[in-house]
Amino acid sequence: MSGELFVVDNLTVTLPTSRGPVDVVKNVSFTVGRDETVGIVGESGSGKSMTALAVLGLLPRGARTSGSVRLDGAELLGRSDRDLRSVRGNAISMVFQDPLSSLNPYYTVGLQIEEMYRTHRGGTRRAARRVAIEALERVHIPDAARRVDHYPHQFSGGMRQRVMIAMALCCSPSLLIADEPTTALDVTVQAQILELLGELQSTTGTGMMFITHDLAVISSIAQRVLVMQAGDPVEYGTAEQVFSDPRHEYTRMLLDAVPRIDDEVLS
Amino acid sequence: MMRYVLGRLGGVILILLAVCLFTYLIFFKLSPDPAVMICGKTCTPERIDSIRDVLGLNQPLLTQFWDFLSGIFVGRDYGSVHCSAPCLGYSFQTNESVWSMITARLPVSITVAVGAAVLWLLVGVIGGLVSAVKQGTWWDRSAMGLALGGVSVPNYVLALVLQYVLVVKLQLLPFPSAVPFADDPLLWLESYLMPWVVLAVGYACLYARLTRSNVIDTLAENYYRTARAKGLSGALIMRRHALRPALTPITTIFGMDFAGLLGGALITETVFGLNGIGKMAADSIAKNDQPVIMAVTLLAAFFVVIGNVVVDLLYTALDPRVRVVSS
Amino acid sequence: MTTSPALVEVEEAVPSSAPPTSGRRILTAVTRDKGALACLVFLAIVVLMAVAAPLITNLSGWGPYQFDSAAINSDLGGVPHGSLGGISGSHWFGVEPQNGRDLFARIVYGARVSITISLSATLLTGILGVVLGMLAGFYRGWVDQVISRLMDFLMAFPALIFMIAILSSLPSGNRPVLLVVVISAFGWPYLARVIRGQTMTLANREFVEAARASGAKDSQVVFREILPNLRGSIVVMTTLAIPGYIGTEAGLSFLGVGVSPPTASWGQMISSSVSWYSVDPMFFAIPGLFLFLTVLSLTVLGDKIRTLIDQGEAA
Repeated sequence: MSGELFVVDNLTVTLPTSRGPVDVVKNVSFTVGRDETVGIVGESGSGKSMTALAVLGLLPRGARTSGSVRLDGAELLGRSDRDLRSVRGNAISMVFQDPLSSLNPYYTVGLQIEEMYRTHRGGTRRAARRVAIEALERVHIPDAARRVDHYPHQFSGGMRQRVMIAMALCCSPSLLIADEPTTALDVTVQAQILELLGELQSTTGTGMMFITHDLAVISSIAQRVLVMQAGDPVEYGTAEQVFSDPRHEYTRMLLDAVPRIDDEVLS
Repeated sequence: MMRYVLGRLGGVILILLAVCLFTYLIFFKLSPDPAVMICGKTCTPERIDSIRDVLGLNQPLLTQFWDFLSGIFVGRDYGSVHCSAPCLGYSFQTNESVWSMITARLPVSITVAVGAAVLWLLVGVIGGLVSAVKQGTWWDRSAMGLALGGVSVPNYVLALVLQYVLVVKLQLLPFPSAVPFADDPLLWLESYLMPWVVLAVGYACLYARLTRSNVIDTLAENYYRTARAKGLSGALIMRRHALRPALTPITTIFGMDFAGLLGGALITETVFGLNGIGKMAADSIAKNDQPVIMAVTLLAAFFVVIGNVVVDLLYTALDPRVRVVSS
Repeated sequence: MTTSPALVEVEEAVPSSAPPTSGRRILTAVTRDKGALACLVFLAIVVLMAVAAPLITNLSGWGPYQFDSAAINSDLGGVPHGSLGGISGSHWFGVEPQNGRDLFARIVYGARVSITISLSATLLTGILGVVLGMLAGFYRGWVDQVISRLMDFLMAFPALIFMIAILSSLPSGNRPVLLVVVISAFGWPYLARVIRGQTMTLANREFVEAARASGAKDSQVVFREILPNLRGSIVVMTTLAIPGYIGTEAGLSFLGVGVSPPTASWGQMISSSVSWYSVDPMFFAIPGLFLFLTVLSLTVLGDKIRTLIDQGEAA
């Protein structure tokens, strides 16, 4: 499938630990098309976040990778840090789990969006500020023109994650990696963020790699699903396939652990 | 904000008053009678009595204390001697008002403190930074080992070692003396070099260790990872997302350390014979010149307390999280 | 979920079998580190010197107050005979200029002063800091107000100047006791501040509330629930305080307000060597080296223990 936007082929990540090198990601392969959302599911330690960090070359010191990661046909693995900078935030951007600690407390959210925009697109501070305000408006932050000068701690959890998303999308990336973006949030806020991501994707056509441990979240947003366990890809297919007819025992176990919709209503 | 500042200033005045009263009680109650001290060897009971009268020592304690306090603002008279407005007392041993003794020596202490501070900030912060970036390398391990050593050298020991090696043996430097800068800039530099180094070494080592651990903690922060994921340039990541958060807490500590030194680096000044506030304190203690001891204690407490307030205000300016939200 | 997949720890793995902060774990770790072990050995020697001072000087042959006019050259103003400050078979570290007192004996007796004063001061600050810090953190309200203001006041004080002034104006009496009291009086707030903050956090934790709910008295809550959890901080703060107090004692003696002569103290020895350092550098170098190595060893060990305890708490 040469027309795919993003291809991960046989990716293996090895980390040095005190007990010797450990493969935290083993032979993982999947693809993400334009406009498509691929969910990567697994428990903590299953290697799903490491997969995401490997894509951007952000692995901890001493990590080794093998296999291939291609965006629009261009190989990303093995490129130098300097070389990857033009990709990070520009062609591929990332939203992290904990929005409070992921934003620098010393700078206004506006500046943190502006610095990224200007790094990739250049231009004056004033132009970048307009972009920042627009980006905040796009993620439905009320009174964006004023909020742009606020610091992260002045926002609520959900609003902070909106800021992170606004920042991630300000350079119109072709791939967005969302690493547990809703885990730290309340259930109602979670739903709002998911809705927002879906809405933004339909207007921008960005491909999305959505990482979570929560199958309920995946079922509402992803078209394809990759299930990981202890670094191994255990199941890969369309969301329908995986959810209606789980082939692997581990997937069945994960599915059993998800509360049914009627349970939720009752509780 | 205004209320906060006023509240803090109120606190400052209370603490200074408490320091004043405490010092006053200790020195004027516990130590030998100043009148006897002033009177000297050829002394008669009548003379002692008249000296007591002039110093106000026959008054009740609180009245004496009040006289001392009001002297600071309006000046006071000791018999025929007048001590004008900021009157922190009068030394009958040197026949000088304590205020003029202080103002004459303050420049030396400030020179010592500022020079040392510049030195230890440069060496400590840069050393700590390099160590953090090269964490775990040969450089990092030796620098941190050296820093532990530097923290452990008492500064008078270091002073004597340097003096022995540089002045006595190698004759590279002159014996330190408080040469004014305008007289001979080169000699000024040479004279102050050792005191600066001696005073700076301990602090530099502490700051290096502190900077290193702060930077390492910051590099593990999620926002540092975000900054990298954003594709920012190395310099921008370093400046905004590593240095600013890592160094901000150090300003607080620096403010307090520096304020502490303005009241005189007692040991360093004494060892090198530099005529600053610290040496004056040591000399007055040796001579039991109470008004001077008292004034130096107060002055040092004043610097520490003011330093505290300045640091707090600075911190609110530097760290948005502690800033009082106005709306 | 009954079976959980094997988790791969990415963070540096701490042996999972080790209990968080046991004394034995720290001791094993210290003895495995060469530098820390060397420090431990040196400190053991210093403590041994302090404890067995009279025995040791019996062996070495010279007491700390014995003059040996044969060891000095009275024609040259009392400079010791020999090149290295009079180091010889009978005077292992040489002698003091002018009166020929044996430096080895004075170092051994000086260790006694340093160790006794710094340990007593550490004990006293430890008790004051822990008790007052816990009181302030546990009861809050006016108790906290009073203790906190007192701490602010003491920390604003120019402690060194004040210690010198107090010590010089007080009658000499029992100097070591005075030194301990004065050092502790200005030292406890630094420990108390940390203890206070941690007590406040601990007092709100579930297990403390559970203990209260089950009818435990305040004293039971404090001693059984809170104090054990402060152990780590107390150990770290006090080990790191000892070298500071050794330095303070030596500094005060150096400035002439510490232990009074002829009692030997390292600081006081350095102080008397000042006028001799250009002609007899050994007189200065020996006490200087002992002071430096002792403070260094304690600092290195304290630092090591802190790292180990931090790791233990992180595990």
